[in-house]
Amino acid sequence: MKIVAVTACPTGIAHTYMAAERLEKTAKKMGLDIKVETQGAMGIENELDQEDIAHADVVIFAADIALQKRERFDGLKIVEVSVREAIKNPEGILQKIAG
Amino acid sequence: MVKKLKQYLLSGVSYAIPFVACGGILIAFAIAFAPMTDKGPDFSGSPFLKLILDIGVTAFSLLVPVLAGYISFGIADRPGLVPGFVGGYIANQVGAGFLGGIVAGLIAGFIVYWIKKIKLPVYLKPIMPILIIPVISSLVVGFIMFNVIGQPIKELMNVMSAWLKSMGAGNQILLAFILGSMIAFDMGGPVNKVAFFFGAAMIKEGNFSIMGACAAAICIPPLGLGLATLLGRKLWGQQEKEAGLAALAMGMIGITEGAIPFAAADPLRVIPTIMIGSSVGSTIAMLGGVGDHAPHGGPIVLPVIDNRIVYILAILAGTLTVAFLINGLKKWPIRKKNETKQAHEIS
Repeated sequence: MKIVAVTACPTGIAHTYMAAERLEKTAKKMGLDIKVETQGAMGIENELDQEDIAHADVVIFAADIALQKRERFDGLKIVEVSVREAIKNPEGILQKIAG
Repeated sequence: MVKKLKQYLLSGVSYAIPFVACGGILIAFAIAFAPMTDKGPDFSGSPFLKLILDIGVTAFSLLVPVLAGYISFGIADRPGLVPGFVGGYIANQVGAGFLGGIVAGLIAGFIVYWIKKIKLPVYLKPIMPILIIPVISSLVVGFIMFNVIGQPIKELMNVMSAWLKSMGAGNQILLAFILGSMIAFDMGGPVNKVAFFFGAAMIKEGNFSIMGACAAAICIPPLGLGLATLLGRKLWGQQEKEAGLAALAMGMIGITEGAIPFAAADPLRVIPTIMIGSSVGSTIAMLGGVGDHAPHGGPIVLPVIDNRIVYILAILAGTLTVAFLINGLKKWPIRKKNETKQAHEIS
């Protein structure tokens, strides 16, 4: 199962990246394939391209603000959670998706 | 590289278009229903129309900062917003117009783009977008806009005004031609303003033909471009066609700025075209002895025009010139591509 994710918090300097790191580390531990794009105060980093999205089965939006370039994910299964959830309980989120 | 530049400009323009359209329509509405006098549209009798005018003017005044801000955004993403908006706002303040806004947006964007490339220790990263980048980039852009661009613009305007005054005693036809080009060059920017104020000042001295030439030139860019989007349906995108309709409304009321979205998106083709069109109109107006008693332009001022038929002809001539010229220029790359394709197919 290939997972892509986008994280975005309002200030965009800490929680955005913390959530990304938690999702990545947890997915790795669970043996899941994940690529995470961050939309922080610096702008879009590690941007998901057409290929990443085409091969993905699901996208996680761990966001408290409106996402940029959301149209890329039209047609893909979307799981929306808060940034806080992604930081506190990434295992739960990923379990629900994978399991 | 040029293609990237175009993309950045278009990025800014696409955010700015609704501001021009909104502001322009509101201002056009207010002016259309206010009586036209020797001093321009008169709002003393209608606070309601004045309110609409004020709201429109507000939307309009946001145009240049938005344009600059989102050009910068296109280059450098979110960190580009602060210096872009700040630079654009200053561009307004120093009277640099939308051209100044484009410069501000590009400078802001590239400064941030390059700052982002500097490798910094991890503990500095969080304060980069919130403190370091905005402060440094705003300082640089602000300095440039105030001192490098602002001062020279003021002096340029003085020089141009003096030059126009000296020409005022000479060849009126040549003067009309030049005024037409100036009005179309930067629409609401310093060059346009100098020409306009010259025309307005001449009214006070009893010379109505200068303003007459200006009045024709003022409405030709938006009317011409609006007409172009109506005639060449396949040449223009959806957003541009909507901007074209707004431009037509603005042109009728003598608001040149309706042409700004087109000029900002494709300056190399649009600006020379509208300069030619406006010069055609202004020269015809001067030749035909058109006089304008109000410091305002476009068909809306017909009530205070001398020689109305020539005035209308001047506007028509300029408008058609712009429409056909710009659509012809837009078709050119496509024709060239087809010719190259055919050449390859034959060989």
